[in-house]
Amino acid sequence: MNEQTSPPDQRVRQGMDYGESEEVQEVHAAIQREKREPRVGLEPLSIWLIAVYGLAVFFGGAYLGRYSGNFSGDGLDPLGGPPPTKKAGGAQGEQQQAELTPHDRGKKIFAANCQTCHQANGLGVPGQYPPLAGSEFTTGGSRRPGMIVLKGLEGPVTVKGQKFGTAVMQPWDKTLTDQRIADVLTYERSEWGNNASPVTGEQIAALRKELANHPSSFTEPDLLGVPADAELPGGAPVGAAPPKPGAPPQPQSSPAS
Amino acid sequence: MDATEIPLKAPSVPTDVPTSNVEQIERALIDASTRVPVLMFYTSAIVWLLFGTLLAGFVSFKLHSPDWFSNVSFLTWGRVRPAHMNVMVYGWASMAGMGTAIWLMARLCRTVLRHPLLLVAGAGFWNFGVLLGVGGILVGDSTGYQWLEFPPYAAIVLFVAYSLIISWAVLMFRFRRGDQIYITQWYLLGAFLWFPWLYAAAQLMLFVVPVQGVMQAAVSWWFANNLLFLWFGAIGLGTAYYMIPKVIGRPVYSYHLATIGFWTYALFSSWTGMQRLVDGPFPAWMITASIAATILTIIPVATVGLNHHMTMQGYFPLMRYSPTLRFTVFGAISYTVFSALGVLISLRSVARYVNFTQASIAYSHLGLYAFFTMVIFGSMYYIVPRLVGREWRYASLIKLHFWASVYGIGLMILMLLAGGFLQGANMDNPSLAFSESTQTILPYLRGRSLSGVLLTVSHFVFAFHFGLMLFGLGRTSSVPTFLNPVETEGSEAHV
Repeated sequence: MNEQTSPPDQRVRQGMDYGESEEVQEVHAAIQREKREPRVGLEPLSIWLIAVYGLAVFFGGAYLGRYSGNFSGDGLDPLGGPPPTKKAGGAQGEQQQAELTPHDRGKKIFAANCQTCHQANGLGVPGQYPPLAGSEFTTGGSRRPGMIVLKGLEGPVTVKGQKFGTAVMQPWDKTLTDQRIADVLTYERSEWGNNASPVTGEQIAALRKELANHPSSFTEPDLLGVPADAELPGGAPVGAAPPKPGAPPQPQSSPAS
Repeated sequence: MDATEIPLKAPSVPTDVPTSNVEQIERALIDASTRVPVLMFYTSAIVWLLFGTLLAGFVSFKLHSPDWFSNVSFLTWGRVRPAHMNVMVYGWASMAGMGTAIWLMARLCRTVLRHPLLLVAGAGFWNFGVLLGVGGILVGDSTGYQWLEFPPYAAIVLFVAYSLIISWAVLMFRFRRGDQIYITQWYLLGAFLWFPWLYAAAQLMLFVVPVQGVMQAAVSWWFANNLLFLWFGAIGLGTAYYMIPKVIGRPVYSYHLATIGFWTYALFSSWTGMQRLVDGPFPAWMITASIAATILTIIPVATVGLNHHMTMQGYFPLMRYSPTLRFTVFGAISYTVFSALGVLISLRSVARYVNFTQASIAYSHLGLYAFFTMVIFGSMYYIVPRLVGREWRYASLIKLHFWASVYGIGLMILMLLAGGFLQGANMDNPSLAFSESTQTILPYLRGRSLSGVLLTVSHFVFAFHFGLMLFGLGRTSSVPTFLNPVETEGSEAHV
């Protein structure tokens, strides 16, 4: 391993490497000039250093005490403020939900599901998608819109005197929960100048049960078979007197065909 | 003591040597016995360093020019960046560190290196493991945990390699001569035992019996931070404790300081790591305990810093000549800066801005490069001439290496820190969109790429110089290579 003498080189050189010199120097210059292996002195600890230790321990300890969150296993707040996460999280979640009115929640659901066809202004697309703003189906009794949203609608339909029918509305009973359908209906019935009664989740649940065996989408005759001012089962929510008289469209005057 | 006690071929020197020369012969024999394994570790490390540097440059450019090769799957950011980090951590830093540690162990145990085959096999397996791991990352097998991205099949190979190396280290310690155990040995033995603990614990808790949910992040950061402290930090400090007194030829200032520094380091470092998760979904006390431990690391840092400073006291001018001393002292100073910055950015009030910004990357580079890599460069400048039996070829290359490294890493840390603080402040500003906060740091990222160019130059210069040494090419010399012409008599010995 330590016999690495390379053959003598012919080139002119400034000096020679140890390994290549004629009389092989095992103990070469780098080692000869080397200082002895390091030793350790025994200087005492400085008083200033002990002061630094004290400061570090003090600040470390103070920090630990202040931001420990009471060493609670589920306390995320370093100051140990509001108690355990589960309660706090639950209460806060509910509160947040409660802060949003059904109208606001409905707006989100509308934007995510309905807006593509019926448009943000609720006017739909002429000839393709019927309007919701001012529509006699939307603003009349809550039963008709409930049926449409739950089970969908296909075939020709006349809304606000215009004919539609090229597009099919899908049923939403598989996709949206009762509460969501109620919220989106509440939104549609009170937005864009509409002024009809709100709808509750319980009402939709009852309607869903009632229509459970209804196989396919409704058609216009199905809807017209229901009185225009028919309300959903479960009745109007308490305290929400529906301002029906002010409702714009003519409830009975749209026997289209 | 007699030279014949040493179980190796007797050197070709006169038999009736004065006793002072016995020590020299002993050293010569030890150095000769470490030649093959240490050079093997060093050479592999330097090849990995070059590869990792190219990856780093690529990653850095990709941050401000994301369209580069974005349609080649194995050159995408998500693969090249972990590849870069792991090549540097396991390929370069670990291998170079182990090379230095092996040489220091042999020197300090005052015994020729026994069972070199263990080390040669260990180096082979380790290289194979890193190669396998990097390949795995590039084809998409990355595990996604910081510094643990190597897929499990590569981790197993690394384990085999490491068990060979650690058994060698324990054997060497067992066969040591002399009754004193020098400070460097404390750190090296500590590092050799801490690394398997860290690596095994992290592998076990992340892949074998994974802990639940967010606790995986806690394990992952505990590992990453402690790898920096207890593996690289311990090897780096141990090396500095040897090189500084050795080169200047003066005892280390104080044994008491060294003891306190070592034990408090071991105690507090292992508690750190969670401070990188401030405001994460963890029990507050976990994070706070890590922050408090980070504050307490002021104790070992101040102690070790003072010990080194007092040792160097009056000998600082030697840094003009000795490459080893210059690199090592730069590294030792960086260690203090690194630790101070670590305390600063771990405090909750600061961390809420700099967490998850470029500043934490600045922190990692300060530790792994400005401190560890520079110390290891220093040790290589000391060790390699003794292994190959040649002096360093050109002082100009050493100077170029040093200054390119210093300016490169300095610029990088400045850019990343400034960019990181700015990024953090912008992310905290609710009126700014997230995309704006990333756009404001683009100039800093370009500056970082510039620093990458400097570091690339530095590494290629060093690798070239190392190659000349290895193959005996270039200018030959039988006098030590100083960085500057020696003006005063007597400083010749300090290399």
